[in-house]
Amino acid sequence: MSILIDENTRVLAQGLTGAQGTRDAEFCLRYGTKIVCGVTPGKGGVEVHNLPVYGGVKEACQQHQVDASVVYAPPLSTKEAVIEALEAGLKLIVALAEFVPRHDTAVIAAAARENGAVVIGCNTNGIISPGKSKLGAIGGDDPSEVFAPGRIGVVSRSGGMSAELSLAVKRGGLGVSTCISMGGDVIPGNPMVDYIRRFVADPDTDAIVMFGEPGTNAEHEVAAYLRTKACTKPLIALLAGEFQENYPKGVSFGHVAAMINDVEDTVSAKRKMLSAAGAIVVNSLGEIPLKIREQLGS
Amino acid sequence: MFTLTEDLTKAFLSDLGLPVPKGAAFDKSSEAVRYAATLSSGAVVKALIPTGRRGKAGAVVLTDTPEEVKAVADRLLGSEVHGFAVEKIFIENKVEICREFYLSFSLDSFPGQILLSSSGGVDIEAAHARDSESVIRDDIDPIQGVTKKQASFLWQKAGVTGDELAEVISATTSLYDAFVKADAVLMEINPLALCSDGAVSIVGAMLAIDENGLPRHADWAEIADGSLIASWRKFNARELSVSEANRKIKGGAVRYTELDGDIALLVGGGGAGLLQHDMMLAIGGRPANHTDTNPGAGIEEKFKVTIRAIFDNPNVKCLLVSFNHQQLTHCARKAQPLAEILRERNVNTQEFPIIVRLVGPGEEEAKEILDDFPGLTYLPFDASLDDAVRTVVDIRNAMKDSK
Repeated sequence: MSILIDENTRVLAQGLTGAQGTRDAEFCLRYGTKIVCGVTPGKGGVEVHNLPVYGGVKEACQQHQVDASVVYAPPLSTKEAVIEALEAGLKLIVALAEFVPRHDTAVIAAAARENGAVVIGCNTNGIISPGKSKLGAIGGDDPSEVFAPGRIGVVSRSGGMSAELSLAVKRGGLGVSTCISMGGDVIPGNPMVDYIRRFVADPDTDAIVMFGEPGTNAEHEVAAYLRTKACTKPLIALLAGEFQENYPKGVSFGHVAAMINDVEDTVSAKRKMLSAAGAIVVNSLGEIPLKIREQLGS
Repeated sequence: MFTLTEDLTKAFLSDLGLPVPKGAAFDKSSEAVRYAATLSSGAVVKALIPTGRRGKAGAVVLTDTPEEVKAVADRLLGSEVHGFAVEKIFIENKVEICREFYLSFSLDSFPGQILLSSSGGVDIEAAHARDSESVIRDDIDPIQGVTKKQASFLWQKAGVTGDELAEVISATTSLYDAFVKADAVLMEINPLALCSDGAVSIVGAMLAIDENGLPRHADWAEIADGSLIASWRKFNARELSVSEANRKIKGGAVRYTELDGDIALLVGGGGAGLLQHDMMLAIGGRPANHTDTNPGAGIEEKFKVTIRAIFDNPNVKCLLVSFNHQQLTHCARKAQPLAEILRERNVNTQEFPIIVRLVGPGEEEAKEILDDFPGLTYLPFDASLDDAVRTVVDIRNAMKDSK
């Protein structure tokens, strides 16, 4: 098992006819992802990689059984494309574009919650369940170089770091159940803690690895979840960006909200907070597999 | 994120039909005096800089006579306030204020927040510290926006009643619409003033804009370029060269900030750069700079400018080029610009240590490109980011020992 996607997930590609969509889809198909059709407004009727392309998501979903959508729309069209997929009833959407305006990402996050759906992104390279399926550019044309199948869940805002965490897991002789690049934007479709909850519920995930950074409240939400004692699996956290605390801050506009919420957004504070809540906080990639083995007694 | 100056903020609000005092920006005091004479109730003279807290710095002055306008204008123009050079001043009609409120919207995280208070006109953080109950906060539903019902509830909670309540509710919902339309991440109205005639006037207004929204606001592109570089100190010539390249060359992005160490960093992406910087400090290495990179069409040219800046920094003793596994980007796209600048600058790679950790598609080609430089260390595929940092710090320490 894995979370969110596996070898049976049937995928629709919004924007399949574009250069990025066509190239990415080729790598995904080669990896085994079951892409069943594409959607590009105004281009219904064409074929890409022998897959039919429709003019709209609803139409595509009438013709095919679809479980998830991967969205290759450009930044200013991403909100509309994601909403179209949600309105067609899809419950898993990967929105890849970087530079989506923040107000659009807020609407996407609210719409995901309203529809009980998961939106990975925006600003992500996707999700992979190694050996089974991948959505997005994650792993490039040879994902096996980085991602080995296994029983460790990985989640990171940064697509580059989700690869490095998975590589550290692989080098330690372990493998990944699912790796999620949840998106580097200030407002992701779903919060990090949602993915951690799913890993905890997944019978085929034994431990979880997360990457934390300054500038988000993801770590506070994860710590709050850990304090409920609902997390029954080891959570290894690698956090980076502490060096920024050595330098004077500019005028901070997040200040008013931070003052009211009494939230300290520094990496050292987040490390302490996660550690106190029960996470295993590490300082290097090399420690990750060692700590996992120590925790699992393997 | 970038901050709009007051003239642009107020022009934007005024175009949407919101009530702002009459005002204009000037770079000459003579023109400012002439304009001030046309105002009905005296002039407020303000330094036009993209930051708040100008009042405390003496950069917002109420005047009554043309002589006063001239004196303040002459003092402010060419001065420096909060680290910003004052190149223009903003002249605005004085407003007869009966009551001052505070109102802000922010979108720092999900969901956005509305913050308001019936005691405006002062530093809101100080007001909150004195009496936290006086500042009212609530979540904003991004799909519904701020509704009349929500605005009414919150302002009543802040103690506003009667005719005043109706005025501020209407201003609040209109200002929220403007906040969204501007692609703003912060809008702070302080004070939101009630005038003697009972009407609302937006006296103090600040907008910070999400740069991802810029394609929808072409007329703000120039100011965005200028203020994106504003940080905790002014950029030096090398930093400016990178910042200019970022602006002039389309596609991709590089950020380059110098620090006081001697190990140059060409690192990325964002997360891997942060991690390596932290690790370097933890084992006693001292970075000469931080870099952050976003891939894109123009990234090779931007790398070249950044590598030149690194070699121009007289404190640099060695260089770490280390990125997370490239997955989709060809490694040669980073190796080629490095090779080009090493040739251009005739860098003696036997004397100047360079450590490269570049793995992913095209790794073999990248290795071949850098094979021409004896002494350069290209780490093997199984070297991690940890290994890369350790290697360069060890080499730097060995250089010190051999002296």
